[in-house]
Amino acid sequence: MSYKLETVLRIVKLGLNNFWRNRWLTLGATLLMTLTLTMISVFLLFSFIVRDTAEAIRSKIDVTIYFTDDAVADEKIMALADRIKSQPNIQEVIFVNKKQALEIWQRLPINEDVKKPVSDSYNPLPRSLQVDTTDPDEIQGVVSSIEIADTEKLICNECVSYVKNKDAVNKLVSITRLVQRVGLFLSIFFGIIAIFNVLNIIRITISARSDEIEIMRYVGASNAFVRGPFVVEGVLYGVLGTIITTLFIVLVSQIASGYISITADVLNLSFGAYVLHYIWQIIGFQLLIGVILGVVVSVISMRRYLRA
Amino acid sequence: MTTDIQKADQEILRIGAPAKSERKINTSSKPLIEFKKVTMQYPGRLAVREVDLEIREGEFVCLVGQSGVGKTTLIKLLTIQETPTTGEVYVAGRNLADLRSKEVPLYRRKIGVVFQDFKLLPQKTVWENVAFAMEVCGFSNAEIAKRTEKVLDLVNLGRRAKNYPHELSGGERQRVAIARALVHSPKILIADEPTGNLDPVNTWEIIELLYRIHQKGTTIILATHNRQVVDRIQKRVVLMKSGKIVSDQHGGKYVI
Ligand SMILES: Nc1ncnc2c1ncn2[C@@H]1O[C@H](COP(=O)(O)OP(=O)(O)O)[C@@H](O)[C@H]1O
Ligand SMILES: [Mg+2]
Repeated sequence: MSYKLETVLRIVKLGLNNFWRNRWLTLGATLLMTLTLTMISVFLLFSFIVRDTAEAIRSKIDVTIYFTDDAVADEKIMALADRIKSQPNIQEVIFVNKKQALEIWQRLPINEDVKKPVSDSYNPLPRSLQVDTTDPDEIQGVVSSIEIADTEKLICNECVSYVKNKDAVNKLVSITRLVQRVGLFLSIFFGIIAIFNVLNIIRITISARSDEIEIMRYVGASNAFVRGPFVVEGVLYGVLGTIITTLFIVLVSQIASGYISITADVLNLSFGAYVLHYIWQIIGFQLLIGVILGVVVSVISMRRYLRA
Repeated sequence: MTTDIQKADQEILRIGAPAKSERKINTSSKPLIEFKKVTMQYPGRLAVREVDLEIREGEFVCLVGQSGVGKTTLIKLLTIQETPTTGEVYVAGRNLADLRSKEVPLYRRKIGVVFQDFKLLPQKTVWENVAFAMEVCGFSNAEIAKRTEKVLDLVNLGRRAKNYPHELSGGERQRVAIARALVHSPKILIADEPTGNLDPVNTWEIIELLYRIHQKGTTIILATHNRQVVDRIQKRVVLMKSGKIVSDQHGGKYVI
């Protein structure tokens, strides 16, 4: 066995031994690390959801053309749809007839008293064309395309709705941004508290070993041997914290999957599946934060024992 | 490292050979240890005042004086646990203040230290406690096994290797600590009140061991306030009083 490898193995063994020997303390530190990582992961997941839903909603910005005049024949509207479809920037044009409009109406989450009067026999709901755009920021271009396609002047004034729609979406997006900021603030706040706890408990685990550090220094241990085991221990906190946090998050997300509908509604993905979709990114982030935090805190806390 | 170990092995084999201390100590050569006007000021306490002290290679020095006079502080200056407020400490001609932080561990391997409270790791066996001192210095497993066995034999604890410290008598524990201090075959062995916690029988056992180590050529500094020990050893006695050296006599007795 090479000399270097023997040294590294010995340092790792010292670190593992220390970890095991003070297992109640190190368990505490691991749990606090888990708490910190959970906090960070929840925030990460939360920002992913906000980002993805905002994007999904934005991509749903479409242009809807209402036909309030029931005298216009369905065929004419469908012909117009074909002409619009042939314009640039247009992804799809869907015709919603009176029957479909009624179905949509009945599914809307609004007061039954308002809903009831509208029925097959009394249906004042307008037919519409939903124009999906390839690029939501190019709405103005789409609107002019529609005007060009409307050779028969079927479309009345104020019947093309997009501005209102866009405002609503922008509002929604800015609300999600606000929520995201509040979330960031809260997780930084709790994150700092958690980090202080990690710092404190690692300090305690190290002071429990001050005798050993003292002896190491008396017998002339090289700094790698004094510091090395604590680096190993720091890595261990990060890795164990990541494993526990990941198991916890996956478990909770699968159980809660049915109760959290936002991802299913907007992204067509159950919450559980959504979390799994991002699980590697979350694990990577946890490992990065956990290991850096564990090592930095360990090394900083033991520095005062290295003095002189 | 290997050459150090080999040299150490030869030194150990020399036990039983004519005692080195019986040869004349060369007083003309440069001293091994030299304190030059050393003062150590702790916050609110002047522990050592302008101490001048020279110790030659192969000497056995008893550092005596009542509790609190600065014996431990003097030792801490020698092990670089403290740095002097003013003055310099030279070992083998080098000012300790000039050692780079990387050199400090290597320097510490050249001086063994034992304490009143032994400072053994309770969860390690006798063997592991001694081997630990070499493990953390990066020696190979083969070197460690060989050397640990040798020093344990030297202190007569070969048969207790698998025992834990709490299973040993005080004298045996101190012998483990001495074995550990010897793994790097130090030039200097410092013992700070090594018999402070021991009964008379164990005390003599330890003093006899220190004497044996001295005879094979190691410079010994023994800090103690045990008058009987000092009077019996009949070596150089350096007496301290409130941070100062007040007397320094060869073949001396503990006089206040
Ligand atoms: N770290 C320290 N801070 C402040 N005062 C100290 C410190 N260490 C020792 N002293 C003081 O310095 C004096 C000398 O102490 P010490 O060298 O331990 O004496 P001895 O070993 O002879 O009993 C004592 O009065 C002690 O209280
Ligand atoms: Mg003392």
